[in-house]
Amino acid sequence: MSSPEYRLSLKNVTKTYPGIVALDDITFNVKAGEVHGLLGENGAGKSTMLNILSGVRPGDQGQIEIDGKSVEINNPIAAREAGIAMIHQELQHVPELSVAQNMFLGRPLTRSGRLFVRTRAQEKRARDVLADLDPTIDPAAPIKTLKVAQQQIVEIGRALLEQASIIAMDEPTSSLTPSEFERLAELIKTLSEKGVSIIYVSHKMDEVFQVCQRATILRDGKHVAVVDIADETESSIVSKMVGREVLHAAHTSYATTEEILAVDGLGRGKAVIDANFTLHRGEVLGISGLVGSGRTELMRLIAGLDQPSTGQIRVMEKPVRAHDPRAAIRAGIGLVPEERKREGIVHARSVASNMALPSMGQFTRSGLLRHGLMHKKAEEVMSDLRLRPPNVRQAIGTFSGGNQQKAIIGRWLAASTEIFLFDEPTRGIDVGAKSEIYNLIEELAKAGKAIIVVSSEMPEIIRLSDRVLVMQEGRLVANLQKNDITEDRIAHYAIPRKDQAVA
Amino acid sequence: MTQTPGADAPSQGLNFFRFNVSLRDAGTILGLLIIVVVFSLLTPVFLTAPNLINILQQSSLNAVIALGMTLVIISGGIDLSVGPTAALSAVIGATLMVAGVPIYVAILAALGVGILCGLFNGVLVAYAGLQPFIVTLGGLSLYRALALIYTGGNPVFGIPPEFRALTNGTLLGIPNPVIIVAIIALLLWILLNKTPLGEYILAVGGNEEAARIAGVPVAKTKVATFVISGSLASIAAMILVGRLGAAEPTIGNLWELDAIAAAAIGGASLMGGKGSIVGTLIGAIILGALRNGLTLMNVQAFYQLLATGIIIIAAMLIDRATRGK
Repeated sequence: MSSPEYRLSLKNVTKTYPGIVALDDITFNVKAGEVHGLLGENGAGKSTMLNILSGVRPGDQGQIEIDGKSVEINNPIAAREAGIAMIHQELQHVPELSVAQNMFLGRPLTRSGRLFVRTRAQEKRARDVLADLDPTIDPAAPIKTLKVAQQQIVEIGRALLEQASIIAMDEPTSSLTPSEFERLAELIKTLSEKGVSIIYVSHKMDEVFQVCQRATILRDGKHVAVVDIADETESSIVSKMVGREVLHAAHTSYATTEEILAVDGLGRGKAVIDANFTLHRGEVLGISGLVGSGRTELMRLIAGLDQPSTGQIRVMEKPVRAHDPRAAIRAGIGLVPEERKREGIVHARSVASNMALPSMGQFTRSGLLRHGLMHKKAEEVMSDLRLRPPNVRQAIGTFSGGNQQKAIIGRWLAASTEIFLFDEPTRGIDVGAKSEIYNLIEELAKAGKAIIVVSSEMPEIIRLSDRVLVMQEGRLVANLQKNDITEDRIAHYAIPRKDQAVA
Repeated sequence: MTQTPGADAPSQGLNFFRFNVSLRDAGTILGLLIIVVVFSLLTPVFLTAPNLINILQQSSLNAVIALGMTLVIISGGIDLSVGPTAALSAVIGATLMVAGVPIYVAILAALGVGILCGLFNGVLVAYAGLQPFIVTLGGLSLYRALALIYTGGNPVFGIPPEFRALTNGTLLGIPNPVIIVAIIALLLWILLNKTPLGEYILAVGGNEEAARIAGVPVAKTKVATFVISGSLASIAAMILVGRLGAAEPTIGNLWELDAIAAAAIGGASLMGGKGSIVGTLIGAIILGALRNGLTLMNVQAFYQLLATGIIIIAAMLIDRATRGK
C-alpha cells in the first residue's frame, strides 16, 4: 500500500483496560472525502476508537497513518496537528465566551508578542468560516445564547478553522430536530465534496443510510465488517452489529387498575407544561420523546428534586410535599437517575453504604449504625439482583455500569419503594446487562411495583411498556395503549411538526 | 491517564479497598515513626516520657481544631473561621468567669458561641448555597472583629484558678488536654464510622447530587459539620485560656491552616468524601513532634516553618504516588 489510498488508516489497533479488551486488532480505513459510518452497539468499542483518534486515550498497539504517513497521536494536541477534529455528543464549550472566542480557544490570534488577543480579527475569521455554514450566527454573541444545532455548527466551523481533514462526529443528532438534521446532512455533503473525510458515529440507521457511503461495524471490540451502504439494508447491518437475530421477548403486562401515583397539572417553566397522568400498581409506563423534550425534568419534579411552578403529585391520594426528595422517598418514590456517575453513586463508598442511604433508619439502633445488619440486608437484596461480583463491601465505583445500576435498584428495594422512576435505565450498559435490567424491571412490575421508564431507545420503550406517554417540548401529547405502541406512532407524536409538512 | 505497563497499583487498590482507609492510616503512623526515630537519633532528650507527653500536649490545640476540620473537609467544605471563633468564645467565656458567673455556665456559654458561629457558617453554606471557602473567610474577619470590639482589643485577665486547674491538671500523669483530645477523637470516630450522620457526611462529600437523590438530608448534614467544627474551636479556646490564664482577642491566628495541614497529612481530601479521624490525630502529632524536635535542636523558627512546609508537601506527594491515580 504505497500510494496513499486512504486519508486515515488504523492498522491492528488494540486497546485494553484492566480486565477488558476494548479494541482487539482493529483495522479502520477512511478515504478522502468519504463519509464513513462507525457502527456498533454500546460497548462495541466506538468510543474507544474516537478516544484513540482524538488522542485522549492512545491505543496500546497498532499504527495510525494519515495520507500514507505514520503519525503518533498521544495527546489531543497531536490529534489536532494531524488534522483530526472531534465533534462530541456533549458539545464542549465555555458557555460565557463568545462564538469566536470558543472557536479560537487554546490558540488565539495574538499581537505584540502574544500579549494581546486580536478580538476583532478573530471575529472576522470566524464570520468568514461560518458564512458557508450558517451566516445567521453572530461570532461576537456568547455561545450559550445559540441553539444546540448552531453550537454544533460552530464546532464544525472550528474544525474547518483548524483545517481539519478528518472530522469525527459522535452521535451528532442526539439533540437535533429532524429539520436540523437535514441541514447537517447537507453540510456534511458539502464538506465531503471539499475533500474532508467524515467519521459518522450514530445509532440511527436512517441517518446512516442518508449520510454515509461506507461503514465499519464493530462488535465487542472486534472488527466485524466494512460495508458499502448501498449494498445493505437496515436489518442486514443491525444483524451484523448484534451478531445474532434480535430477540423480541414477548411483553407481559402485570398492570392492575389500582391507582398509586397521580400527577396533577405538574409544570416547571417551559421545561414541563401541565403534565397530567396516573400510574397503577404493576404497570410499566413508558415516557418517550426527543432529548430535551422535558422527560428528565418531569422525573426530577416527581422525585422532589426541583421546585414545580404548577401542580402537585399525589401518592395513594395523599399530596406529596413538592421540592423535597425525602418527602418523595417517604411517599415511596425512588429515582434511578440517568447519569449514574454524577447522580447515582457515591463511588468511593461500598455497595452496602450506597444502598443504605435512603433507609438508614432501619439499620440504626440507639443512634448507632448496625453494620452487620446493613451488610446482611445488602447481601440479601444484591443476591436477588445478581450483583457481580457479589461483594457488597466493595466500593461501588469499581463495579461495571450494569452492576452499579443493579445496586441503585437495590437501594430502592431496601427502602421499600413502591414507585420506581427509571431515567434511561440502560444508558452506558452493555448488551448482556441490558436484558438483565429489562428482566428486573419486569420482575418489579410482577411484584406489584409501579414503574415509569424514560428512554430514548424505541426498542426499549416498546419492549418494556404497558402504556406510553409521548412528550414534545414539555407537553405530554399522546397516551398510547398497548397495540398503538410502535416506532411510527411514537415518532409521529414526538417530533414537532410546526416547521414541516404534516406526514 | 496514560497506562504505563506494570502500573498495577489501581487494581490492587480495588481488591484491598476495604482496607484502604486503614492502609492510609498506617502510612501516616509510619510517617510519625520515622520522624520520631530521626529526632531520637539527633537529640537524646526527644525520646523521653516527659518530652513525649509534652509533644502530645503541644499538639492538643491543633488536634482539637483539626478533628472538627476533618469532618467539614470530608463533607466537601472547609472552615477558615476556626481561629476567630475560638477567640470570640475565649473572650466571652473569660469575661463571664471574671464577672463571677459559675465556671460551668461560662464554659457552656463559650461553647454556645462556637455553636452559633458554626450554625451561621453552616446555614449560609447549606441553605443560602454560598461557597464554604468564602463564607468562612467572611466569618474569619467577622468573628475576629466581634472579639476585638467586645474587648476593645485588650486581653481579659483574672481567670479563676479553679478553671485553670481544669485544663492544667493531669490524670494519672497525663495532662487533661490530652485526655480531652482522646475523648473527642473517640467520639468523632464513632460519629464518622458508626452513625448515619457519618455515612451522610461521607456521601455528601463524595457526591452531593447523588446523596440528595438518595434522600440524604444534605443541608442538615453540612450544618452539623460546621456546628461541630465551631464547638471544637470553643473547646480549644477554653484549653488555651486555662493554659495562659488570660483570654486574648487575638488568639487563634492561622489555626485554620495548621488544622487543614493536619487533616491533609492524615489523608483528608479537600475534594471531599475522604478523610480519617485517626489520620488527622496522627497528622496533628506529626506537626507537633516536628516542631518539638526542631526546637530541641535549637533550629530557628524560620527553619521550623520551612520544615513544616516541606513535610506537608512531601506527605501530599507520597499520598499521590501511593494512591496510583
